[in-house]
Amino acid sequence: MAAPLDHASSRLNTRVNIDLVAIALGLALAALIRFNILPSIPF
Amino acid sequence: MSSPAILSPTETQRTPPSLVALVPGVALLFGIGITGKLLHAGLVLLHTRYPRVFIPRIEYVLLAILLGLAIGNTIGVSERFRPGVATYELWLKLGIVLVGARFLLQDVLHIGGLSLLLVAVELLLSLSVMTLLGRIFHLPPKLTSLLAIGSSICGVTAIMAAQGAIEPDEEDTSTAIAAILTLGAIALVTFPAIGHALHMSQQGYGVWAGLAVDNTAESLVTGALYGQDAGRWAILAKTARSSFIGFVVLGYAVYWSSRGLAPDVKHKGIFLWQKFPKFILGFMAISILATAGFFTAGQITSLSNLANWAFLPAFAGVGLRTNLRDLTGQGWRPLIVGILGEVFIALVTLALVYWSYSHGVAR
Repeated sequence: MAAPLDHASSRLNTRVNIDLVAIALGLALAALIRFNILPSIPF
Repeated sequence: MSSPAILSPTETQRTPPSLVALVPGVALLFGIGITGKLLHAGLVLLHTRYPRVFIPRIEYVLLAILLGLAIGNTIGVSERFRPGVATYELWLKLGIVLVGARFLLQDVLHIGGLSLLLVAVELLLSLSVMTLLGRIFHLPPKLTSLLAIGSSICGVTAIMAAQGAIEPDEEDTSTAIAAILTLGAIALVTFPAIGHALHMSQQGYGVWAGLAVDNTAESLVTGALYGQDAGRWAILAKTARSSFIGFVVLGYAVYWSSRGLAPDVKHKGIFLWQKFPKFILGFMAISILATAGFFTAGQITSLSNLANWAFLPAFAGVGLRTNLRDLTGQGWRPLIVGILGEVFIALVTLALVYWSYSHGVAR
């Protein structure tokens, strides 16, 4: 059967916890913005 | 059938790809997302310049998905791009963590708590109905379990979490994931149309999308296609729903283990923690900081904009991984079971949301 699946299978791997990376990145970015190290970000 | 884009579900990489190997795929994700945004800006500009000419105003969310779909289903994603494309899940979760800044803690507790209540009802009904449908259509029992887990909780993540716990056949896992992804793609088209037909509010629609659409990415996109606010509420409801993942998978693991068809679960507390989607903690942390006044209004806007930037590649990833040829590739019976089950879940959650809003439970 075809398995056209990119999803969780292709998450980075079983050893790198994506959730923890996302939390660390999110908190780091929040800190950079809070202390004005990053300028205001448009979208 | 061969797929140009995709890996088999058990084809997980055992070693972390180097950062350099991620660059082409990440660039592709952002390239698609930014192109979608530029196209949207171009359409808006054309609309302003030529107001008498009919120019469709297509949102960048949809454009990014369509571009991803077009690439994934025509030229495909070559080996070189795959490690980077797989990071779409990281961008999605980063966006969810950052968007926590837009929620005051009292909203999280109120709507999140309401969602938890609705999820509990939805879970009981959907697990029962999917199991019943699986029996009626004579699906293999473990495939039925996977479909029930995927459709009641959070799609592919839940199925992958269950894979190690109940040890299904590889074929069953592939079929369940394909069915869930197919149904997610169908929701992208049908949900916004239903929401508009029923004149649903942004919040009501968002909560419905979060409760009814299985995969986190599709849930967010289904919400965002209705409006930015709806996207945010969809995230909150979906996050509440995802927090149940450990309990449901544990229930099925214990059931199959009691039949001697899966390994024993020795430490249930550790099992629950392992399956818990930890990015929810990041979302809560940012929400608490925002509620405590840690950020100024301008900084909250910046964080929200950063979240939107993070969601761009996630939208592109949803398009890239959706394989149109797989709509029927997994066989009709699992798809029919999935469709019937999903229609049931969509109707039940819609009724629950309507009831909550008409009785003043939600605001």
